[in-house]
Amino acid sequence: MVFNSLPFLIFFPIVLLMYYILPHRLRWILLLIASYVFYGFWKLEYLALIVFSTIIDYFVARFLHTSENRFNRRIALLASLSVNLGLLFFFKYSNFFIEDVLHPTGMISENAVNVWTSNWDFLLPVGISFYTFQTMSYSIDVYYKKVIPETNIFKLALFVSFFPQLVAGPIERFSRLHHQLFQSVTLSSDQLVAGGRLMLYGLFIKMCVADNVAPIVDQIFNDFGDASTLQLWIGMVLFGIQIFADFNGYSLIAIGAARCLGIRLIDNFDSPYSAISIQSFWSKWHISLSTWFRDYVFIPMGGSRVSAVRLGANILVVFIVSGIWHGANWTFVVWGAIHGIAYLAERYSGMAHSPNPLFQPVRWLTTMLVVFVAWVFFRIDSVGHGFDYVQGLFSTNTGELSLIWHPITISFVGLFLLSDTIFRAGNIQDWLAGKSLVTRWTVYSFMIYGILAHAGTVNHPFIYFQF
Amino acid sequence: MKWIFKIALFVALVIAMNWQYEQWAYKEYVFREADQVMQIEKVKNADVIYLSASSNFSPRPQEEDPRKLSQFVGNYFPSLLFEAINTPASHAGSHVDLLRFIPEKNKIQTVVCVINLRSMGPDWLHSSLETALNKQGVMYQSRPPIINRFLTSLGAYDNKTIEEREDERADMWAAPNLPFPSPRTNVNEWCALYKWGEWTDPKRQLADQYIKQYAYVVDENNPRIKDLDEIVSVSKERGWNLVFSILSENIVDAELLAGPELTQLMTMNVEWIKSRYEIDAMVVDNLNLLEPVNFHDKDFPTEHYNEEGRKRIASNIAHRLKHYHKNAFRNAVWEAELNPIK
Repeated sequence: MVFNSLPFLIFFPIVLLMYYILPHRLRWILLLIASYVFYGFWKLEYLALIVFSTIIDYFVARFLHTSENRFNRRIALLASLSVNLGLLFFFKYSNFFIEDVLHPTGMISENAVNVWTSNWDFLLPVGISFYTFQTMSYSIDVYYKKVIPETNIFKLALFVSFFPQLVAGPIERFSRLHHQLFQSVTLSSDQLVAGGRLMLYGLFIKMCVADNVAPIVDQIFNDFGDASTLQLWIGMVLFGIQIFADFNGYSLIAIGAARCLGIRLIDNFDSPYSAISIQSFWSKWHISLSTWFRDYVFIPMGGSRVSAVRLGANILVVFIVSGIWHGANWTFVVWGAIHGIAYLAERYSGMAHSPNPLFQPVRWLTTMLVVFVAWVFFRIDSVGHGFDYVQGLFSTNTGELSLIWHPITISFVGLFLLSDTIFRAGNIQDWLAGKSLVTRWTVYSFMIYGILAHAGTVNHPFIYFQF
Repeated sequence: MKWIFKIALFVALVIAMNWQYEQWAYKEYVFREADQVMQIEKVKNADVIYLSASSNFSPRPQEEDPRKLSQFVGNYFPSLLFEAINTPASHAGSHVDLLRFIPEKNKIQTVVCVINLRSMGPDWLHSSLETALNKQGVMYQSRPPIINRFLTSLGAYDNKTIEEREDERADMWAAPNLPFPSPRTNVNEWCALYKWGEWTDPKRQLADQYIKQYAYVVDENNPRIKDLDEIVSVSKERGWNLVFSILSENIVDAELLAGPELTQLMTMNVEWIKSRYEIDAMVVDNLNLLEPVNFHDKDFPTEHYNEEGRKRIASNIAHRLKHYHKNAFRNAVWEAELNPIK
């Protein structure tokens, strides 16, 4: 079930109503059932994967908690990580590994590739990368004795599958989310209004900004060879806006839905396009993923307490792994590598910490150039095409696609960028809270009218669902 | 009380928004995305409406008279106003949505609705074009336009992905659903059986397409039959005369390329359709009416007819339509040029 769909618009109010009608002790059961219904809506078979992952992590965590034998604990943790990463690898990366790694290096024949792809041609389970990372963090935290494991497997199942953030995050930690799922929540209009505002704004930027921009982006990226230089720049910038509106929109709906249920999720964005360095960009973009990589990959590799060379290598590895996490394609590796190299360049040149305010516009421009050029590789179908596209940005292509522009799309994009700088996405509800009734309802009306009458109709799924 | 006020305010806002949307944005949107809605305005004043797809307008530049098939039918009834709606790839499913959308106040006496045999087969039922047609269909529902627009952007219609549709189609081709013994129990078997050389051979590919387009059995579970049932029901409610015109297919090439079993199946399906609707509608059977020369496309089975083909089908329909509009009927001037209909 996707947030911008009729089933969800029916499903969520029903869940919300039942949640507050039911006595506190039964609410978590409702949330578990609702989460499984929400996920099973895509494909019932996918539920088996979540259930399997939950069972493994439940028993491993119980063992980790009771065992004092260091070797056994390490083996158990490895088993849990292997199962989770194994599932992720099998469903997400096996085809890529066979077709793009083993086959080109001559390790397997063309025939074997065909046999594999014809027998294992399945759809990627939605959100597998997100819930796998969430369950892995649980096992690792239990291993390091940062959290006490859940004793009720069904309660753990709710932590793994909590529907607002199940398929595209924010990736939550057990210590932050778990206790909130079972706390006593009283119905409060402030809570509902706050959550509702976030959901409304999230829907607005997804449906009116991202979905209206998407057809133009698709057109330019699909026929970039026929596009003029200016159109290539437009395509690149619009994709940056599309992915931000799309993913931020999803995150805000997720955070808003959880808020309505009395649960606070981590903010995932903080005006990332205002960043004046790559380091700062990653503290503002997909915050729940970047902090996950920091805590569970970068720090275990030694963090900052290693030699400069090792640190550089570690940073690069983290960014490349983060790229691969997004998708099974070399384009994501290049995307991660661009960010990694730019991060290192900033760090070792001292640019990231330059105090001179005069340089800030230059730093912002440089950062955005890196971020947006990297988006080209994130969006395009192959690395070769990515380099062709980037080359086109700096040449004088005279080709001309006939793009279908709609003035409303341009106004929505402008308003979105303006609003992001005014109330920094997630804080829309704080911003609105201080306004008069007339202002509030004017803003609501504008967003509702936009969603009802001018949302995109191509029906693009959320971009991050494919990850 | 505060909540009641807020809900009332919200409802009032939506009503105002719908009014504003209808005034300023609705026409521009439907013109761009669902232009058939605009055609409703035109057809509601017609005496006869002709619901079709690309079979209605497939002239080639060299033709002397490039008029549509429906215009040729209209030639026989000069005193009646004929209007056609012919969106490419549309079918009974889209036509029923359109008919429901026609305002209660209309001058329509007769509805001619074409039946394309191919539209009932797996290839068309699971065509990727279905998504766009289904999306347009949302705009024809009798709800406030702003709600229809919203439902369109929510994807509240059958909007399966191309891959999902291809999977469904492949399943139907693999299912043993044909009334023949092995090796013709399903489409895949049949396609493998007929060998006109390698797969690269154009004749082999064409034979394959004929089998894929026509090898199935029509029954009451077919979605297009359910749509035709709906068309019957809507026409009865509105008091319209209903004519189903079964389109001509290239029977000669079908038999030559895929064997007599295929044409036997096509005929059986047409007979079944005729028997199902002969009481509630007038069914005009054009299946065997044309020669291969009347079909434009030679590399794929289609219902794109040349000028003579369109005129011959028009003549067949018009002579049956005379039953409802006897006084308006005049023989078309070009009627005598046509070879006698078989």
